[in-house]
Amino acid sequence: MSVIAPNFKLSEFIKSILDVGFWTLLIFVLIGLPLVFIVLFVIEMPVINGEILTPFLALTWLADPSRILPIVKAFMTTDLFRIAAFPGFGFAALIAASTIFVERKMMAKLQLRVGPFYCGKLEGILQLMGDGLKLISKEIIIPAKADKPIFWAAPVLFVGTAAAFVALIPVAPGWVVADVDVGLLAVFAVIGFFPIITILSAWAANSKFPFIGGIRALFQMVSFEIPLILSFLGVVIVTGTLNLSEIAASQSSFPWIVFFPIGAIIFFITMLAELERIPFDLPEAESEIVAGWLTELSGMLYGLVQFGTYLKLYAFAGLFVVIFLGGWNGPMIVPPFPAEIITEGIQMGPVTAQFPGLPVFTQEMLNGTIWFVIKTVGVIFFIILPRGVFPRIRVDMLLDLGWTKLIGLAFVNIFIALGLLYAGILGPGGLF
Amino acid sequence: MSTPILPPGLAIQKADERIMTLNVGPQHPGSGHMRIIVQIDGDYIVACDPDPGYVHRGEEKMAEYRNYVLNVPHLERPVIHDSCNVLYPYVLGVEELLGLEVTERAKYIRVIAAELNRCVYTMYWLAIYGIFLGHSTMFMWPAGDRELLIDLLEKMTGARVTHSYFIPGGIRNDLPANFEDVCLRQVNYFEKRIKEYADVFYENPILISRTEKTGVLTRENAIRLGTTGSVLRASGVDYDVRKKEPYDVYDELDFETNVMKSGDSYARSRIPWLDMMESCRIIRDALQKMPKSGSVRVKLKPNPKGGFDSVYKRVESGRGALGCYIVSDKKPEPYRVKLSVPSFRNLIALPHLLIGEKLGNMPSTYWSLNYWPVEADR
Amino acid sequence: MSSEPKKEAVEKKPEDSKPTNDKTTEKPAATKPAPKKVPPKEEPELPAFEKGIADKIIENFGEKTTISFVKPDRVGIKVGRDAVHDVAEFARDVLNYDHVDSVSGVDYPADKEIEVVYHLSSYTDPTLSRQILELATRAQREDKPIPGNDATRLPSLRDIFYSVEFHEREVFEMLGVYFEGHPDNRRLLLPEDWADLPPLRKDFRNKGR
Repeated sequence: MSVIAPNFKLSEFIKSILDVGFWTLLIFVLIGLPLVFIVLFVIEMPVINGEILTPFLALTWLADPSRILPIVKAFMTTDLFRIAAFPGFGFAALIAASTIFVERKMMAKLQLRVGPFYCGKLEGILQLMGDGLKLISKEIIIPAKADKPIFWAAPVLFVGTAAAFVALIPVAPGWVVADVDVGLLAVFAVIGFFPIITILSAWAANSKFPFIGGIRALFQMVSFEIPLILSFLGVVIVTGTLNLSEIAASQSSFPWIVFFPIGAIIFFITMLAELERIPFDLPEAESEIVAGWLTELSGMLYGLVQFGTYLKLYAFAGLFVVIFLGGWNGPMIVPPFPAEIITEGIQMGPVTAQFPGLPVFTQEMLNGTIWFVIKTVGVIFFIILPRGVFPRIRVDMLLDLGWTKLIGLAFVNIFIALGLLYAGILGPGGLF
Repeated sequence: MSTPILPPGLAIQKADERIMTLNVGPQHPGSGHMRIIVQIDGDYIVACDPDPGYVHRGEEKMAEYRNYVLNVPHLERPVIHDSCNVLYPYVLGVEELLGLEVTERAKYIRVIAAELNRCVYTMYWLAIYGIFLGHSTMFMWPAGDRELLIDLLEKMTGARVTHSYFIPGGIRNDLPANFEDVCLRQVNYFEKRIKEYADVFYENPILISRTEKTGVLTRENAIRLGTTGSVLRASGVDYDVRKKEPYDVYDELDFETNVMKSGDSYARSRIPWLDMMESCRIIRDALQKMPKSGSVRVKLKPNPKGGFDSVYKRVESGRGALGCYIVSDKKPEPYRVKLSVPSFRNLIALPHLLIGEKLGNMPSTYWSLNYWPVEADR
Repeated sequence: MSSEPKKEAVEKKPEDSKPTNDKTTEKPAATKPAPKKVPPKEEPELPAFEKGIADKIIENFGEKTTISFVKPDRVGIKVGRDAVHDVAEFARDVLNYDHVDSVSGVDYPADKEIEVVYHLSSYTDPTLSRQILELATRAQREDKPIPGNDATRLPSLRDIFYSVEFHEREVFEMLGVYFEGHPDNRRLLLPEDWADLPPLRKDFRNKGR
């Protein structure tokens, strides 16, 4: 007998399902169908191409690519698509999920083990989904003395802020959710929210270990934001713009890492610290303060924070690519769209199908996206790698590194930028 | 007794407003089966009170109810990863009490088993040291390479962890056929493997900057606090029971003790690693010098009795000098068995090392004491 | 538990006043088979160095101490509870023993006494590296113990050997011997609410045994 449901009987379970189905059907027939007919009777259906749009006609359109493609293309230009799907949340979530998988397998190979293996037949590719289902099904336990509204809101805010950060990253020419003129400052502003959310969550939990973890996160993020913004100042000086799309476009001939290797290194180190990854995972230092500011989070609240962390990781990697590695720029590797499909259509036996809206994505956009993804994955690889090599560092060493060494180096980087600018090598009127 | 009377000194002190008391353990990934009550002022530890006893099982009391041979399986329980060494002093003591002479081959096999066990223990300890410092690779590598030696011990003793291999009068069973070749091959590979740890762990700049000059135990303090084993040798005291008071055949074997002067967490973590190399050397030497055949155990009478006597024997375990004090009263059961365990002796150094340190140094300093909570509780 | 240990202790006392000859004859079985075979020639085989340590203690403290045994590398001294502090100080300052390996409590209900055995050892003196000095002292035992508040008391050696701190705490909770002068006589291994007898006393029986 099952412990979870001691009175469980299969026959009653099947009967309950049949009951539910019966009553649903009955209610739909008696109430739902009359309602649909009344609505169809009252509403005046639109007339398209001289035909009145009946439900049947709408269904046939869905099956006809030549009619549905323009709708899809129109939808792709909307903000909703950009926010939810391609350069925004969905794309980032996909990359974040694959990052988690790659991280697990890579760490496993580094540590002479196999990692996720069974779930999903192929090298445990569905392990993440299983973990997500587990987290969703777990109970969410809130500490008795916690400040409940803030405690609930903090993980959601965390994911929201990470998504806002993702929105600023241009993936391909013209493909960015929010193309703001002060893009880098906006990035800086969004990053500034993370310590606030962290300390709010930690304080709201009303527990000692989260509190210490939150304070550490505050220290770490605040002290590393300054070298972060100083490190990309060199690029800003040379390009003369804060817009991320323009910065990416300015690197069509060479990426800025050629001229600013110091800035790139500083940016990479501060990125690790902002992401709380080993060797800078002090806010979550397991052996010292249990799980840091995540200690009291349980169930999907924890899952949300983890998800937000990986979104943030993608966003930072993308920012690094945009500022230093040339963004979407790269040799054209995508073959041009075959012109005869547009002009003559596709011949399938006796039928010739014409698709008027066909190149859904332009060649530049596809190429840019591919290069962006390749570079981002490379950067993510280097973000993951220290986890297998380094131990955690101490908080005083971290602050010392942030406030003295990195800021000093960042100024060196700025002087290099100014030197290049005034020597006339780069910048307006320069050689390039 | 009806009402518990609090002994003097148990009054709870009222802490300052800015001082926060942290219970590190027993449900804490950085403590093991013990609690360290630390009081922190900002990031600095101002008071530290170790509170062992969560896994106290009364091994010493249990030993008073069983005869000398029945005590063997449960007395190795305090440190199952080092079960041969934790049993060693007891077996030596009982042999002295009962007047048993162990054959030469049994002595060599004991030394081999004890050294293999020392490596097995040290690998486990090293794995946890790695994860305490946030170095997950250093957790996985020793935990995996440890299997090499566990397989060897399984061939020898039949059990992977709790061997119960040493019994008064020798060892339980002889080596399997062709053991010497397998052992030599595994140990050589193992030594090659642990040398690689230097690249990823001991020479790691972050590790060095984190653990050097933290938790410094000076030579004088190490002696005064009565620490032992790797803690003592890391503080510059050249004291190893295997050298100073050789038991069984350690005086015939060729090895050296590792001593470091600095006495910080780094030295304390490096000494056990160096000791593993010496262990490999001892095993190779012992395999060479071992008599190739002969009996390995003395026949014991049922329920053997000692005289009115007491004996104190000590060996060098994976953590340090492990003593066993046995009092017998002409009965089949010992009158009193006391295990003087190195973890318990090293624990006293913890408050001295932690006070004034940063909270981030707590796990590395604590675990560098080569402390095994279950052993200290017994 | 039994009265044999008491008899043993009583038998030893007259013999110990003439310390040299009789010590090893008490121990026929245990230590080495060689001296057992030829009893008249055992005198040159008695470990000289250990005998020297024992003699030094006897010279200085005379009747307060008795020698319980001299074996290779092991010297056993019995001290009254008044003199144990002085003997320990002497062992540290003159004999160069610098730390305590272990502190064991042994309960002797028939004698109404609890023995506390200090095993002293030395790191600094290379001549003593093999040696263990066994310093045994006895405290009065009460049938109904109130740990910390009864007559079961001994002077603490913590001010002489710092290393006994946790060991004495353990003896206090396990046998109820209160150490006077110990700064921190708290429970160590047992739970705070332990209200039974101290568990290593012989009248505390394990359940089912």
